[in-house]
Amino acid sequence: MQQGTIQNRDAFLDTIARKLGRSRLASLEAPRWKHHPQEEFMKGASPDELLAAFKQNAAGVNCEVTVTTKAEVPQTVYGSIKNFGGGPVITWKDARFEEWFGLGKLLKEQLPGENIDVFEWDYTLGQQNIERANTAKCSITISEITLAESGTAVVFCDKDRGRTINFLPENSIILVPKSSIVPRMTQAARKIREMVKNGQPVPSCINYITGPSKSSDIEMKLVVGVHGPVRVNFIVVEDL
Amino acid sequence: MAIKTKFAEDQFKIRVEKKINDAFMRGAVANATDTINGRKRQLIFEMGNWEDWRSHGEEIRHHVLENLDYYLFQFSENVAKNGGHVFFAKDAAEANRYIKEVVQKKNAKKIIKAKSMVTEEIGMNDSLEEIGCEVVESDLGEYILQLDDKDPPSHIVVPTLHKNKDQMRAVFKRKLNYEGTSKPEELALMARKVLRKKFLEADVGVIGCNFAIAETGSTTLVTNEGNADLVADLPETLIVCMGMERIVPTFEEMEVLVGLLTRSAVGQKLTSYVTNLTGPRREGEVDGPEEFHVVIVDNGRSDILGTEFQPVLQCIRCAACINICPVYRHIGGHAYGSIYPGPIGIVLTPLLDGYEDNEELPYASTLCGACTEVCPVKIPLHELIRRHRDIVVERGSKKAPFMEKMMMKAISTGISNPSLYNMASRMAFSAVKPLTSDGKITKGIGPLKEWTDSKNLPRPNKERFRDWFKKHKGGAR
Amino acid sequence: MKVSLFSTCLVDMIQADIGIATVELLERLGCDVDFPEGQICCGQPTFNSGYLKQTIPAMKRMIDAFEKSEYVVSPSGSCTYMLHEYQEIFKDDPVYGPKAKVLAEKSYELTQFIVEVLGIEDVGANFKGKVTYHPSCHMTRLLGVETPPLTLLKNVKNLEYVELPYKEYCCGFGGTFSVKMGRISEKIVDEKVEHVKETGAEYLTGADFGCLMNIQGRMERIGVPVKAVHIAHILNSR
Repeated sequence: MQQGTIQNRDAFLDTIARKLGRSRLASLEAPRWKHHPQEEFMKGASPDELLAAFKQNAAGVNCEVTVTTKAEVPQTVYGSIKNFGGGPVITWKDARFEEWFGLGKLLKEQLPGENIDVFEWDYTLGQQNIERANTAKCSITISEITLAESGTAVVFCDKDRGRTINFLPENSIILVPKSSIVPRMTQAARKIREMVKNGQPVPSCINYITGPSKSSDIEMKLVVGVHGPVRVNFIVVEDL
Repeated sequence: MAIKTKFAEDQFKIRVEKKINDAFMRGAVANATDTINGRKRQLIFEMGNWEDWRSHGEEIRHHVLENLDYYLFQFSENVAKNGGHVFFAKDAAEANRYIKEVVQKKNAKKIIKAKSMVTEEIGMNDSLEEIGCEVVESDLGEYILQLDDKDPPSHIVVPTLHKNKDQMRAVFKRKLNYEGTSKPEELALMARKVLRKKFLEADVGVIGCNFAIAETGSTTLVTNEGNADLVADLPETLIVCMGMERIVPTFEEMEVLVGLLTRSAVGQKLTSYVTNLTGPRREGEVDGPEEFHVVIVDNGRSDILGTEFQPVLQCIRCAACINICPVYRHIGGHAYGSIYPGPIGIVLTPLLDGYEDNEELPYASTLCGACTEVCPVKIPLHELIRRHRDIVVERGSKKAPFMEKMMMKAISTGISNPSLYNMASRMAFSAVKPLTSDGKITKGIGPLKEWTDSKNLPRPNKERFRDWFKKHKGGAR
Repeated sequence: MKVSLFSTCLVDMIQADIGIATVELLERLGCDVDFPEGQICCGQPTFNSGYLKQTIPAMKRMIDAFEKSEYVVSPSGSCTYMLHEYQEIFKDDPVYGPKAKVLAEKSYELTQFIVEVLGIEDVGANFKGKVTYHPSCHMTRLLGVETPPLTLLKNVKNLEYVELPYKEYCCGFGGTFSVKMGRISEKIVDEKVEHVKETGAEYLTGADFGCLMNIQGRMERIGVPVKAVHIAHILNSR
């Protein structure tokens, strides 16, 4: 990665140090906090309790939540696509669709066979991916970490997992392995920090998605689907 | 300076008078703030340990401010390591000059923007329009205001609070040839169509930053509409603008503050979208910016560091103090004449824009303390408001009425001098006789006039309490 | 128990009967009440208006006036809070700093004193009528006294207590705010009056005369027949 530039830094930081009445800090011990309110939430909760909380909270923010099993994922996803009015469908390029969810046949054979267009993100095609995302009716992506407290999917983007897939199509299907559900954002943040400590790069974009796009800017009336998805369906897979 | 809005031309009291009779605005503000406050109260109740959360929020923000140079250094190192560019701007002019340079180098004409208070503060839109760019706001509310000949926002979270849907429809009709109804869904759909095109066409995106993460050089943005994501993901060039204090050590503190922000701002556990961006797009990635710039703005903030007003920099721009303020509730955002209204605006505006034009603002508070009580990072807002008053008086206010200054001098002398107090308090009963009817003062003069314009005032006692007590006890000690 | 009364300047000058009720109540509860003559005003009106320096002599006078007192009790949450605030104001003063701390530690609002110091929850009062209570901002948020007045009110015989909707909203008094920003104060108090009307109460009570004077003044002007009475009066009724 090519190093970026930094301009005007020293004068700027010198001023800050001066105003704080000291010289610039060369090092700093990691802070030790006195308060830890975030640890309390759903401490020691079982996977079932986490799932129940996730369902309730996601439903509370205008999401549809479907709980299914690994064997029935294709059928559930198919139903959801139909429910959203069919294709075109856009997905990431992600081996887990087949390996974890057994969706290979649905995406590669069944839907095309029904004349429902399925486009798989392919970075070698460049801009075309975005055009496809813009005209797709429905997207399918996978939650890396899922937050029970807020009904949130955390998605990591990379070259095979485009960012705009989660924003441009009208409808969103997000697959959620039950084992990915954690109490709250605290555990997600910790997991991301672990990645950093282990020398893995932080993804260039992490999205925490909690329901469809919405606004209350017009007389405080909730409008769903302002810029991004109008509907979001979380499909939770119980035995994953 | 663009902290002032166009309404700032009028004296404060004239602004108040213009707004206080706007029944729609006052109703809308009351309704909106009651809704948000109610949702928030429920969430806080469910959490059970809100005070612990506030204390944690405060300790994080306090720690960051005390070590700000360190964290900004670390943050900028990491942005650059990820391939992003960092520009430290000491004032609005420097920030705008850099942004213009980036735009001009790209030969960009179309700019799309997501809500960012600091770009308002530095007047970025005007500066880019001067060089022939089209700057489009993409937050629905901001977009409507921009279309309406740049009507200033009246709230930092719900900018359109003062406008009703029929007024919005009229704006769409005038500017977009919109023929639909004033139903919110239909208006929003129109905006979606227009703005989707703008997102896809834009050359440069500009977003704000709620929290910058020092350890990774990441930025954090919180929205409900998802507009900031499209701004960040589609144009080839992205400029992130942030006030220099908007920083946290790691993802873990970011997470805590995001939770405090979304609860306090809109009464949600999380907004629909929270996004961490870490540098430009990587090798092979198709979406996301090819060029990633971060502009870190001082613009008067460093002058607040090390002073008694430093806690105001703890602010995470949630507007909870605005939503709870009894004065804001009745005069709305425009009357403040600043892009930052309400208690936080009263504290911040004189610090960033000077006292000269803002010396009436600190008096737009009952000092009821509700702002301090709701602040998720424990800024002692009402105390700082009161401190501003000391400074206004010390500077020798030019606008404070002569009568008021005289009265304050008289009171402060009277209450520290028993013989003066005794004389005045004994005379009071007779002195107000001409103003009294049925035992009440109904037509006050001088400083009492503002009271008696709308309220009766009881007449002073014939016999003071202390005189009664003396008789009661046969002499006090 | 020896108690020094801090009457507040408003009560001394404008509403002596609140002071009288306070004295009678405390005496009935077995206190030996005195009134240090040196007291005038806590200084809040000028202090809150930005005249800090000019207010220092008045505040020192108050500290001196109560120097020998065991307890200082006042029928005002706001003025009691101001006595507590002296600690912060004089924190760098080697002479008045420690004195201010002592004063804060022995100063109580009336209902707080009765419940927390005297340990009495029923003062044996009898007051017939439907009563609602406005908790003043300084008393609840700043002094932190929330439940004592309610505890005492609920034990008054024949008193029907009805909660004020949005009771925590400011009434728009704000000391000099009410004369400096009269128009805004009017709108704020109008909303408070609406909530008072909703309760159907005959009486509005509170522990701060300033707020009561503000709400009552507006109710009188627009013809709302609810009577504002200070909580000392209710607790002193037999």
